[in-house]
Amino acid sequence: MGDGKGATLIGALDAGISVVRRPRRRAIQFVPRSLVLPIVLFLIVFFVLPLAENVFRSFDPETGREHYVKIFTDVYYLEVIAVTLALSLGVTVLCLLIAYPVSYTLVRHSGRWSGVLVFIVIAPLLTSIIMRSFSWLVLLSRQGLVNGVLLDMGLIDRPIRMSAGLLPVTIALVHVMIPFMVLSIAPAIQAINPRLEESARILGASRIRTFLTVTFPLSLDGVATGMILVFMMVNGSFVTLQILGGGAVQTLPLLIYQQFNLTRDFGFGAAMSNVLLAIAIICLWLQISLIQRRGAEAR
Amino acid sequence: MLTHRAVERLINGGLLFYTLAFSIFMLAPILIVVIVAFSANSYVSFPIENWSWRWFQRLYEYRPYFDSFVVTLKLAVLSAFFACLLGVPAALVLSRSRGKFANAVMTFMLSPLSIPSIVLGFAMLFYLSRIGLGVSFISLLIAHVVASIPYIVRTVGGQYRSMTPGFEESAMILGCNGWQTFWYVTFPMIRGAILAGAIFALIISIDNVSLSLFFSSPTTATLPVVMLSYLESSFDPSIAAASTVQLIIAVVLLFVIERLYGLRGITG
Repeated sequence: MGDGKGATLIGALDAGISVVRRPRRRAIQFVPRSLVLPIVLFLIVFFVLPLAENVFRSFDPETGREHYVKIFTDVYYLEVIAVTLALSLGVTVLCLLIAYPVSYTLVRHSGRWSGVLVFIVIAPLLTSIIMRSFSWLVLLSRQGLVNGVLLDMGLIDRPIRMSAGLLPVTIALVHVMIPFMVLSIAPAIQAINPRLEESARILGASRIRTFLTVTFPLSLDGVATGMILVFMMVNGSFVTLQILGGGAVQTLPLLIYQQFNLTRDFGFGAAMSNVLLAIAIICLWLQISLIQRRGAEAR
Repeated sequence: MLTHRAVERLINGGLLFYTLAFSIFMLAPILIVVIVAFSANSYVSFPIENWSWRWFQRLYEYRPYFDSFVVTLKLAVLSAFFACLLGVPAALVLSRSRGKFANAVMTFMLSPLSIPSIVLGFAMLFYLSRIGLGVSFISLLIAHVVASIPYIVRTVGGQYRSMTPGFEESAMILGCNGWQTFWYVTFPMIRGAILAGAIFALIISIDNVSLSLFFSSPTTATLPVVMLSYLESSFDPSIAAASTVQLIIAVVLLFVIERLYGLRGITG
C-alpha cells in the first residue's frame, strides 16, 4: 500500500505472526461465526465495489477499450509504465544489496548490540512520509549538507543540483524500504540452524564458501518475501515522487493523480489505476503462493 | 598469502564498518530534520547559527496546521475505533477456524494492504460521490477504516491464534456461557493485542497522504496533506517542526505498543 508508512510496521507484524502455529486439534469456537459478516459486507461495499466500479469507468460507453489501447500503444504511456517498473525493480535490488549484510550482521554478529541495530533499522518507520522527503530535500539541496561536505573535501568545485529527480527519489525510497527488507530477511537467516554452517566449516569450507553454499541458499525464502513486498510498495508510492521527483520522473501513481487533479480525464485515470492494480494483484498472488508453499513445507 | 585468521578479521572488520555506515545512512535524515526544527532562520541553511522555538509556535498560530491537526487526530481515533469494532470479532472467529474458506476470508480482510492507496483513493472518491457522500469527513473516515482493518485483524488474529484454547475450555466446563467466557477470559488475554492493533491503525492514519488527498477540502484536510501543499509553495523550518511533533507522537505510541504487546519477533 502506498508509500512508506502506508505499510509501516507490517513487516514487524509479519515476522511476529509467521512464527505462530495454528493449534493442532480443533479448538472450541464460542464467538458466533456470523460476526464475520459485518466486516465482509463493509469491505464489499466500500472496498470491492469502488474498485469494480472503477473497471466499468475505464471502459467508456462510447469509446470502449480506447483508454487501454492508448496506454499500451502510446510510447509516452508505455515509457511511464516502464519507468514505474524499472524504478520498483531498481529500488528492490538496491535494498536487497544493502539490507542483506545488515540482516546477517543483526542475526549472527550483533550480540548485545542487536536491540540498538533493530532500532536503527526500524527508525525510518517512525517518521512521517513528509518528514523523510523533506529531510532529503534539506540534505541534497544546493546549499545542503551533502554539497557542503563535498565542497569542503574539494571533490566538487560548485554545488551539484541533486534535490530533484531520479537520484533523490531512489535514495529516499531505498531508505524507507530497507526496514521491510531487513525484517523479511533477518527471520529467514535466524531460522537457519547454525550447526549447518558449523558443519560446513568443520568439513573445511571457508567462511565465504559456507556463506555462498549454505547460509545464502537457505535464506532465499526471506529474500523473495522481502523483494515482493518492496517491489509492491515502491510500485504504488506517490508522495516521495511528488516531492522529490521534480517532474523529472513520471510514474503511474503520479499520472493517476494528475488525471484526477489537473487533466480531469477520469475514465483514463481509471484505466491507469487498473493497470497499477493489476501489477499489485500479480504481486499479491506471488506473495500468497509463497506463503502457501512455505506452509506446505512446514507441515 | 593471508592467514585464516587475517581473513576472519578482515570480514568482521568489514561488517562492522559497513554496519556503521549503514547506521549513519538510516539516522542522518531523521536527525537533520529535528535539528532544522530548532533553527531561528526563516530558511533552511547550514550550519545553524541561532536556535529557537519559533517554528513550534508557528504550528500553533498558523491556522491550517492547527485545524488540520485536529482533523487528523479525530480521524485517527475514530477510524481505529470502527476498524476494531468490525475487525476484532472477525479476527477471533477466523483464527479458530480452519479450512480454505476461513483462509480466503482472512486473505480478503488483509488485501487492502496490497492495493496502492492512490488507486483506492481514486476509486473510492468517485464511488462515494455517486452514493452521495462526496468529499466529507464521513468519506475520509470510511477510507481510513478500510486501510486500518488489516492492521487490527493481523495483530489480534496473530495473538489469539498463538493462545491456547485451554483457558476458554476450562471456563466453559466450569459453567460460563459464551459471553461470560469472552468477557472474563478471552478479552483480558487479547486486550493488549487490540490496543496494539489500534495504535498501529492510529499511526497509519496519522501518516496517510495518498488516501486523504482525494477527500481534502478546507474542513477535511489532514495535517500531512496540508504539509504537502505547504511544501510545494514554501521551504521553511515549520515543516521540520511539524514533522518533529509527529515523530514524538509516533515514538510515544510505539513505546506504548512495546509495553502492551512487545515488538517481539522483530528479529525472528
